Amino acid sequence: MNLKKRNFNFLELAKTLTPISMVLSFVGLITLLILGFTYGIDFAGGNEVQIQFEKQVTAEAIRNAVQSSGMESPLVQSFGENNEFIIRVEMADDENENAKRLTLLKNSLESHFKDKGGHIRRMDSIGPQIGKELRRNGVLAILYSLLMILIYLGLRFDIKYAPSAVFCLFHDTIITLAIFSIFNLEVNAQTLAAVLAIIGYSLNDTIVTFDRIRENHLLLQNKKPFFDICNQSLNDVLSRTLLTSVTTLLAVGAMWVFADGAIRDFAFTLAIGVVVGTYSSIYVATPLLIFMNRFKMFQ
Amino acid sequence: MIESLKARLIIVTTVIVLAVIWLVPNFVLLDKDFFWPSKDRIVYGLDIQGGLHLVLEADVNELLHKRLNRISLNLQNQMKVDKISEAVITVSDAAPFFMDITVKSPENLNSVQKIIKDLGYSSDLQTLKETNTTLRLAYFDNRVKDMRVQIIDQAIEVIRNRIDEFGVSEPLLSAQGENRILIQLPGIEDSARAKELIKTTAQLEFGVVNEEFPSEKLFPLIAEAEKKGGYSLGKNKLTYREYIKKINKDLKEHLKENEKIVFEQAPSATNLQTGRIPHIVNIGSGLTGTHLEDAFVSQGEFNRPEVSFKFQPEGRKIFADLTGRIVGKQLSIILDQVLKAKPVVQGKIHSNPRITLGAGGTYEEVRSDAEMIATTLRAGSLPVFLRQLEEKTVGPTLGRDSIQKGKTAGLTGLILVMLFMLVYYRTLGIFANIALFLNMSLLLALLSSLSATLTLPGVAGIILTIGMAVDANVIIFERIKEELRRGASLKLAIKDGFYNAFSAILDANITTAIVCSVLMYFGTGLIRGFAVTLFCGIVTSLFTAVFVSRTLMDLSLLKFGLKKL
Repeated sequence: MNLKKRNFNFLELAKTLTPISMVLSFVGLITLLILGFTYGIDFAGGNEVQIQFEKQVTAEAIRNAVQSSGMESPLVQSFGENNEFIIRVEMADDENENAKRLTLLKNSLESHFKDKGGHIRRMDSIGPQIGKELRRNGVLAILYSLLMILIYLGLRFDIKYAPSAVFCLFHDTIITLAIFSIFNLEVNAQTLAAVLAIIGYSLNDTIVTFDRIRENHLLLQNKKPFFDICNQSLNDVLSRTLLTSVTTLLAVGAMWVFADGAIRDFAFTLAIGVVVGTYSSIYVATPLLIFMNRFKMFQ
Repeated sequence: MIESLKARLIIVTTVIVLAVIWLVPNFVLLDKDFFWPSKDRIVYGLDIQGGLHLVLEADVNELLHKRLNRISLNLQNQMKVDKISEAVITVSDAAPFFMDITVKSPENLNSVQKIIKDLGYSSDLQTLKETNTTLRLAYFDNRVKDMRVQIIDQAIEVIRNRIDEFGVSEPLLSAQGENRILIQLPGIEDSARAKELIKTTAQLEFGVVNEEFPSEKLFPLIAEAEKKGGYSLGKNKLTYREYIKKINKDLKEHLKENEKIVFEQAPSATNLQTGRIPHIVNIGSGLTGTHLEDAFVSQGEFNRPEVSFKFQPEGRKIFADLTGRIVGKQLSIILDQVLKAKPVVQGKIHSNPRITLGAGGTYEEVRSDAEMIATTLRAGSLPVFLRQLEEKTVGPTLGRDSIQKGKTAGLTGLILVMLFMLVYYRTLGIFANIALFLNMSLLLALLSSLSATLTLPGVAGIILTIGMAVDANVIIFERIKEELRRGASLKLAIKDGFYNAFSAILDANITTAIVCSVLMYFGTGLIRGFAVTLFCGIVTSLFTAVFVSRTLMDLSLLKFGLKKL
């Protein structure tokens, strides 16, 4: 990589990309509201059993075994490579009833797959109340983060920087969640953590860019228009932006390759976030800042 | 930045020494008596260790309702005694709870108010509405608040009292939010049995300690019985309930009618398994927790905390008879077969019994003992109904696999990032890599010093830190290269590079820290683990990427004659 002297006109592209991004974030928001999410059990409540067999077993056979224990519409998914499965069944209203249901399920699995060497590795039962609270807290966590960042940036930078950065984060959050919604990916507590990590990462990017714009603005205020200052700043921080994306993707990639289950999903979400976050500080945050700068009150 | 290189080197060295001190207990099993300043280590969360995780909710409202009903019953009984006819008392069925009293004449209402005062309810109940012949009463708001806390405490106390039943070495038991209890039992897989134990109603009994057969005489008998039967508490998962059954059966010949052996936790022990004192108690009086109405800590002579309690009318009679018979002897208070207190009876007690605690101990110690006894008494008087909100069981193999995979992922990530930095930055890359390595060590040391619980999301947080921590170094290095391109000398370029980069690094890290704090506040268990590791990562990476790498670079410039990057 040789990025020594460059003067790439990033913001030329912004004229087409930025409106598209803006439209996408609103469309994304509407998609979220209409389509909703496939929640994992920590948000939706329910029973989940993770079971591993020593010998080959099909998901179909497991489904039949679960149904024969009297449970309707169980969800059985293969998990990882080693004959591992996730079984999800609905929760009974009463906890004793639910405990009975799970014992029944366990016994049924044992008797059906006696010669397959199955053992239960994990069993979760989460009541609907916990899930409801978790959803509420998740939304609150995201909103409060955005609000606090807005306040901090307003104090540390200038009033015009704060809303641009926060809208950019809003954009990242919506796009990431919209991907989950459209592709029917499961949203769980880890997703929430990943979204907040993305907010952190994207913000990092935006702040480094804005810091440079602030600095160049002070130096070149009377010599160049704000648009050119921004363009130059983007070029100044370009190598840093790319390098940090690469190192973060290396770490996240290692997680995706070697870990499994929740951590793997987490890594996947983060990888989306790193790409979206890098893009958005260039094509969402900076153009918005230029737009804000047009108003007399912000200059 | 501190100008003196020497001072900076001292700081860096001190931090490294501290880090080593904190890291060592994680890798070496230190003996308890071994001289080492810190023995805290990172604890694996239940998702890695395996075990049972339960979140229960105490039904506080149900208990408030029951108590108010009980009060109304007592009032009604007393009214009958005082011959107040045609009085009606109703208690509301749902929160907020109140009690309506309707009588025939204003004189009757005065008598009712006197009864309320005489029975000692005027400190619990406030008058909401009053006419000539009706009265609406409800708990004082503060009283409700106190009772909420008490109810959770008593539920926890009951479970803590049974901790020996679970047969796990490091159970975690804590209140969560307003009316929840979190229980974590590492290593437990049979959740059904553990849950049954947790939910069994607490049994409170009052008895008399047999002082003719003191503990000293019992110890050898018990040791002999254990040896003969080849059992002991905790061995082969023998629970306390089963253990006490065996002991009582084996030593039956030494026990008179209505007598049984119970154990008291030794003062220095953390549970019954590590230290217990046997007692023979006589429970012939039949006085139990159901006879008890309330118990609380009050201020006695010289402001010493003591325990006051109240019986139901029937219980009051039995208690008076019992205490009249055993003046000078020890009354025993037994919760779930564990002796919790054995106060000496000073005389026949008709009403308002109090337990004063021994002369020793600081105010806080006496206070906490008194709280424990009061909580025990309450737990036996009105058991709390616990509803299960969440249950997670993790088998031992799953966590072992996950942490192994997490370690591989982390190490691979670390090596990849280091290689990348080295290839891209050459000499500067060495500085960045030293900083990154140190950062990871400091992060683990910091987590050890906090004896943080490492969960799988926490592991993810650490791996993410690996990728993001070099960011500060990248920002600085790019600035240095810029200065060099402008023709600055190496020394000046390094100085200006660090200076120019600082504001961006600081702002970026503070905002990420803000996000982490929000997550720590709103997140539960696992997610909080992620936020904590990420937050610690920010702190350590600020130190290593800025302070340590600057010091290393200055050192190379001044002492080792670094000329080119």
